[in-house]
Amino acid sequence: MSQISETKNEKSSEISRFLSFFKNLGIKIKNGFLKFGNRFKDGSIGTKLSHLIMGSGNLYHKQIAKGLIFLVLQIAFLFIFITSPEVNSTPLGFKSIINFITLGTEEGDIFNPTDNSMLMLLFGVIVFGLIGLFLAAYSSNIKSSYKADLDKRKGKKPTTFKQDIELLLDERFHIAMLTPAIIGILIFTILPTIFMILIAFTNFDSQHPAGQVLFDWVGLKNFADIFSGTGEISVRFGPVLGWTLVWAFFATSTNYIGGILLALLINKKGIKLKKLWRTVFILTIALPQFISLLAMRNLLSEYGPINAMLLELGLTDAPISFLSNAESAWTARITIIVINIWIGVPYTMLMTSGILMNVPTELYEAAQIDGATKKQAFFNITIPYILFVTTPYLITSFIGNITSFNVIYLLTGGGPGVPGYKAGETDLLVTWLYKLTIDESEYNIGSVIAILTFIITASATLISYRRSKSFKEEDAFQ
Amino acid sequence: MKKLLLSMALAMVVLFTAAGCGGKAPLTIWVGSESEAFYTAKMEEYKALYLETTGEEFPHEVAVKGVDTGTAASTFLDDTEAGADIFTVAHDNLGRLIAGSSSVAPVQSQALLDQIQNENPASFLEVIKGNVNGTEYTFGIPYVAQSLVLYYNKAFITETEAQTWEGILQAAIDNDKQALSLAGTDGFNNSFILLATEAETGDTSLKLYENGVQENCFGTGDDTIAKLKWGQNFFNHSNGAKAPTDSGWEVELKDKISISFIGGAWHYSAAKAALGDDLGITILPTFTIDATEAYGDAVSGTVYQSGTFADTKAFFMKKGSAYQEYLEDILLFLTSKDVQEESFEQVQNLPAYKNAADEFAAFQEDTLDAQLAAAQVRMFEFGIPQPFGFSSKFNTYYYSKGAPELILEILENPDGDLTTHEAILAQMQNVESLWKTGLQPE
Repeated sequence: MSQISETKNEKSSEISRFLSFFKNLGIKIKNGFLKFGNRFKDGSIGTKLSHLIMGSGNLYHKQIAKGLIFLVLQIAFLFIFITSPEVNSTPLGFKSIINFITLGTEEGDIFNPTDNSMLMLLFGVIVFGLIGLFLAAYSSNIKSSYKADLDKRKGKKPTTFKQDIELLLDERFHIAMLTPAIIGILIFTILPTIFMILIAFTNFDSQHPAGQVLFDWVGLKNFADIFSGTGEISVRFGPVLGWTLVWAFFATSTNYIGGILLALLINKKGIKLKKLWRTVFILTIALPQFISLLAMRNLLSEYGPINAMLLELGLTDAPISFLSNAESAWTARITIIVINIWIGVPYTMLMTSGILMNVPTELYEAAQIDGATKKQAFFNITIPYILFVTTPYLITSFIGNITSFNVIYLLTGGGPGVPGYKAGETDLLVTWLYKLTIDESEYNIGSVIAILTFIITASATLISYRRSKSFKEEDAFQ
Repeated sequence: MKKLLLSMALAMVVLFTAAGCGGKAPLTIWVGSESEAFYTAKMEEYKALYLETTGEEFPHEVAVKGVDTGTAASTFLDDTEAGADIFTVAHDNLGRLIAGSSSVAPVQSQALLDQIQNENPASFLEVIKGNVNGTEYTFGIPYVAQSLVLYYNKAFITETEAQTWEGILQAAIDNDKQALSLAGTDGFNNSFILLATEAETGDTSLKLYENGVQENCFGTGDDTIAKLKWGQNFFNHSNGAKAPTDSGWEVELKDKISISFIGGAWHYSAAKAALGDDLGITILPTFTIDATEAYGDAVSGTVYQSGTFADTKAFFMKKGSAYQEYLEDILLFLTSKDVQEESFEQVQNLPAYKNAADEFAAFQEDTLDAQLAAAQVRMFEFGIPQPFGFSSKFNTYYYSKGAPELILEILENPDGDLTTHEAILAQMQNVESLWKTGLQPE
């Protein structure tokens, strides 16, 4: 009973944490607007003017360089926004916001290009990003002027540009260093992610190649197609998702348990040549994974050494297809799980070996004094310690296996095939996504699968990690 | 000071990165990886000719890049702005290249149009044209031809036996081998049965997007069902054809597990490596249906000639290329008869030029290269170009919606439920539906 009520309490506290996040966000936004209003009311004429013309507050306070930088930023932004310069025949600026909504209207002909819906979508996202950056600069311009106001009121001289630079290279050095990294993340991670998510709401597919045929917003149709219709996405999504979860569970658990057992065995007192055994197993890590996988595929192929051996020993009278041509889907699935053990166990073994060597000896000594047997010490100290330290690894490993591409792609290519569909019996969501996008140009469906994969992996990570002792009792083993 | 230096270094990295994004790209030509060196040399020759003709240096930098021609169309369509000004792909990609308002430019130079018209087989002329906004244009400039041929192991199969599948099967039985290996499960590799024609008359009831019409597909004729039944028997015979394995056809040929293989010119090097001096090359064999295979109008004893997709690789021009004014003249040179002949001699590209077999000296030599060329040319008599250039849908419906797997299922009959002619007919009705609509009937 107490366990049930504990679980209920956990759930309600998670929900309240979730709700308080949005509440706090609301408060922050409200406070932001209040501060904005207060600065306008309380600020000097320069600060008031900088609400309209960026940098005027700084110029008013004789911070010429800073003021000019803000002014140039505003002029540059307005210039791009109003003139909407074209890149690859597609406009940026305010026109890209209109294009973002329409995704193009101009159907070209043999001599004139069709509006490039893909670039319009992309430029729309970029311009929204630029607007966000401009608003940040705009806010910074007002804050900077208001700070100069306050400095003056306190009898201090407003900081010069040189002082600002010095500050940036000293106290605020972290900002100088992090800014390019943040810009990089914005350009190379956030922007493509948003772009990819938006594609899921369009009909950008093989029948709508960018720059040749216009594509359009279709709302949630692509998501709805998973649950209805007779297309590949509706028929094969369930089986592929099911196998992805089964694969992730077995690939993770077999490697984890196998690795721990191997580490315990190698670290057992009395085992000789421990370093040699560790080295032998680490050799599989030293080899590039794709070479190991291709070697395994050749070993297990119909006319490879393993089949030759089975035939020689009379255990079978015809070659067995273990991988992409296997008669049963489960033959291929079990084979790749077994191969994955060989590939993955050394990683867990290596990590667990390190953990085992660092279990505080005082714990064992105390247990010994209390009269604990070796078995009790193992189950009450060693195992909980390993589980505590390796839970985050276990979770990341599970997530990694959901998106594991190499093993499936190189061993079976998703096969055995399912007549009538691209997704084979061993395809994971991620390999199916690859086939749909790279081979078939079905970008919208690929994007839907990517979003769903993200939701599954993110949920699994958050839920399992927040429920783990590693999270709840962070300081327990320190 | 350290911090200042670090900041400056960071700023320079950002600046160099930004600078790297600019600059005008050279006139770029994508060719097959195996031909990169050849066409690079040819472009140097072209520049020399340009200087000779105009008295001026060719005004732009030219970059010839070797690419995987199988995926070049997809790569081009993924980002046409970054795509080559001239690129080569198989003609069946035309449909998606010209979808909507087209991403490739039509040929407008009369000299080039004349060269295309006068120097290519009639079957090629039909598949390099496409309709955009109601007007038909010529888009592709053929320069390479390709068809499937039979590679066989001369140690087990005589020249006479290689003429019929029955002969090859008997050789396989006598030597306890498999008669045939295939390279893949797709609709290209098993097309030799589907595209087979009656040997005496050349007739077939099979229709694949005839005249470029989506509904003009017919794969349920009596002869098609009988041919597939023959194929089923051939694949299910213990010494018959075998479906592709993880070991690969090269291993199967090399280890003498199978004694023949259907492939294109692109398989030649691997086949030669596998069989060495035992490699024989000939046209695809005939087969005769027996009483158990006969169905309706396709009577027992009818002989069928195995068929093939007989395709051309063509050059295409990017629409809106900054170098448009130079492209057609370059192509006039690169696809000329002389360059095609040199291309055959140096990199074994089978010429698209229609009289190559009679006029090119290298065809007359008694070499494997010449045998391969001759076999491919002969297979053009029993082949049709892949009829997928009319619309981007055709290629997708034929290859990507599962029809090849359904045909392979008939041939392999893994569960034994496709044994009867009626079951084969029912399965082919599904295939026909996929060809026409991309969907299986509900």
